Amino acid sequence: MKRILSQCVKELAQFRRDRLTLALAFVLPLMTLLIFGFAIRLEAKDIPLAVQDFDNSILSHHYSDRLFATNQFQPVPTPANPEIALDGNVARAVVIIPPDFSRQIAAGNSTDVQVIVDGSDANNARVIKNSIKATTRSFLETEGLIPTSNPIKAETRLWFNPGRQESLYIVPGVYAVVLWIFPSLLAAIAMVREKEKGTILQVYASDLSAAELILGKALAYLVVGMGIAVVVMGLGSLIFQLSLAGDPTPLLVSTPLYLWASVMFGLMLGARANTQNAAVQGVSLVGFLTALLLSGFIYPVSNIPFPLSLISNIVPARYFILITRDAYVRGVGWVGVWFDLVMIAGLGFVLFNVAKKNLQRMQLGE
Amino acid sequence: MMFRQFFVNRFWALVKKEINQILRNKQLLILLIIPPTIQLLIYGFALNPDVHHLKLGVVDYSQTVESRELISALTENQIFDIASLSFDENDLAQQVETGKLAVGLVIPPTFSRDLTKGKTAEIQVFIDGVDANTAGIANGYINQMVQQFGLKYVDEAIAPPVNTEVIFFYNPGLTSSWFFVPGVMGLVLTLIGSIVSSVTVVREKDTGTLEQLLMTPAEAWEILMAKVVPLFVLLIGDVLLALSIGRVIFNVPFRGSFPLFMVLSGLYVFVGIGVGIMLATLCQSQQQVVLTTFFINLPMVQLSGAIAPIETMPKFFQYLSLLNPLRHYIAIVRGILLKGVGLEALWLHVIALACFAVVLLAISTNRFRSQLS
Repeated sequence: MKRILSQCVKELAQFRRDRLTLALAFVLPLMTLLIFGFAIRLEAKDIPLAVQDFDNSILSHHYSDRLFATNQFQPVPTPANPEIALDGNVARAVVIIPPDFSRQIAAGNSTDVQVIVDGSDANNARVIKNSIKATTRSFLETEGLIPTSNPIKAETRLWFNPGRQESLYIVPGVYAVVLWIFPSLLAAIAMVREKEKGTILQVYASDLSAAELILGKALAYLVVGMGIAVVVMGLGSLIFQLSLAGDPTPLLVSTPLYLWASVMFGLMLGARANTQNAAVQGVSLVGFLTALLLSGFIYPVSNIPFPLSLISNIVPARYFILITRDAYVRGVGWVGVWFDLVMIAGLGFVLFNVAKKNLQRMQLGE
Repeated sequence: MMFRQFFVNRFWALVKKEINQILRNKQLLILLIIPPTIQLLIYGFALNPDVHHLKLGVVDYSQTVESRELISALTENQIFDIASLSFDENDLAQQVETGKLAVGLVIPPTFSRDLTKGKTAEIQVFIDGVDANTAGIANGYINQMVQQFGLKYVDEAIAPPVNTEVIFFYNPGLTSSWFFVPGVMGLVLTLIGSIVSSVTVVREKDTGTLEQLLMTPAEAWEILMAKVVPLFVLLIGDVLLALSIGRVIFNVPFRGSFPLFMVLSGLYVFVGIGVGIMLATLCQSQQQVVLTTFFINLPMVQLSGAIAPIETMPKFFQYLSLLNPLRHYIAIVRGILLKGVGLEALWLHVIALACFAVVLLAISTNRFRSQLS
């Protein structure tokens, strides 16, 4: 135990001395939090939309006003040719109102409004289509052209997030991503540095066991990780105005466990890699990609196709995201998240054993 | 003439030295092939914004033909899948609360009576709003489907006076990977280009061989050019690798001009190399380089529109992204691949990219030279 502690103290002293790593540990996580938290927005707003109004009547003006009544569409100057507007990214969609628009409606006939949507961003294209259709319907209702009385009324309640504030979804996810990447990166660098400098040979020659070495380093970076967690979660909640939704104990218990798994992941890669470059590449490729893409951070996990979806089962970030979202948004507490906590603990244990194995192989026989 | 001959020989000797060094470095070659491939595959497959197969829980107190028709109307196009059918409203509410169900629907016992009598029938819908984006889209779908279903029960079934006829340009099947793959191609080039070029320059600094090179009659710019040329060739190889993965695996169309694509990709490769060399001149060791590329690449990638479209970002970040060469390159790749447009639509992006390439290369060569002398 004493040897583990002294290993930990030595590691922390080394960490404090290295300015760049210190900056990496606190500046980069904050930068990531701000960029992800502010710039990842999935809901389409202010979409540039052009209206080509060949009718130019009161009714057609009402219709185009209606399209821009919400903040979803932003008017752009009417192009001479709709294709050019889409080609040059000037507009995402063009609504073409035919010359006989109001005449046909007045005569009781139906008229076709053409909507040309840039489909290259498939997700937003679908949103644009639905929204124009819905706006057209409500336009017809307010103009008294179709009966407003709807035989079925859906009384909808959006739980947890009635204003559909996207930061409530993104920011708790960023916590999981940040607390996965940076502690593991620091731990991997620490491990590999020892190898590059050759000081690991002194460790091999001493009677410090692989487990003791790993535990010592892990303890040090767990402390650093907790520091990062406090800074990121504290400032993040302040800047994005998140507050705890319920019982905070699941979050308090799982954060150290998650950091433990993250540090172990870094040590495991560090024990494998021979150069710092390779270690950083490994963490950024494996750790960053899985935490970002296979964790349900951006789009739901259920959307990941088959062979990749298997990998997502062993991504700890996936489980921690559920815990942070529960803590800050859902507020269900232990009933909802105990399984995720068990998974994080289990994965942390497995990672520890793999790291130990990797290192033991290097050591001389006992 | 003699002089020129001499220069060409010396330059080629330097280039040959660089090529030999790169070929001997297995790690570098692996770095050029494996990460781009993995990144393209995972980004392309895992980033899937489609809203479909959402878990729907139903409590149907009505148990009539009408209520069952409503349920099948909601599930017929696979946006919602029935995950539970029960008579326990509290249990349904709890399952939505814990996130086991995305949407809960309660049909009251009076549903079909109201509907056939012409009264407004009310149904209750709970949506798990944690994922704001999906919740919003699901909400829109439900309203649309319920509306359509309800129209069947209106006596005078009139055709709506305005039909909206929607045409999707460029991607009529709305395949979402077509949007992400060109973005990830740019992302991969940025990451690999900056890391590989900074590492090759710094390694020479690290090992002290740069000073030896300086003792030779070769000029600083020759040394640098000899480094850039083989890197350029290798990274063009990466462009082709990324393009073939996009074409073969994701079936992304290629509608524009191939020569234009290659020329502009070449321009972007220069930007990547410029970033890399600049980082290398700023840093003293490989470790620092690798860490600072992290600093640079993260905002570059996030503010490029590779993952989340630019228009959905807050205004401030939209303007900031104009200073991001990757944003312009991605717009170019999407334009050429998906839209089949040429310079007439892309010229602004091309000018921006050219400016970045010139400025970055000028600064980095200058710094490199001043560090040497």
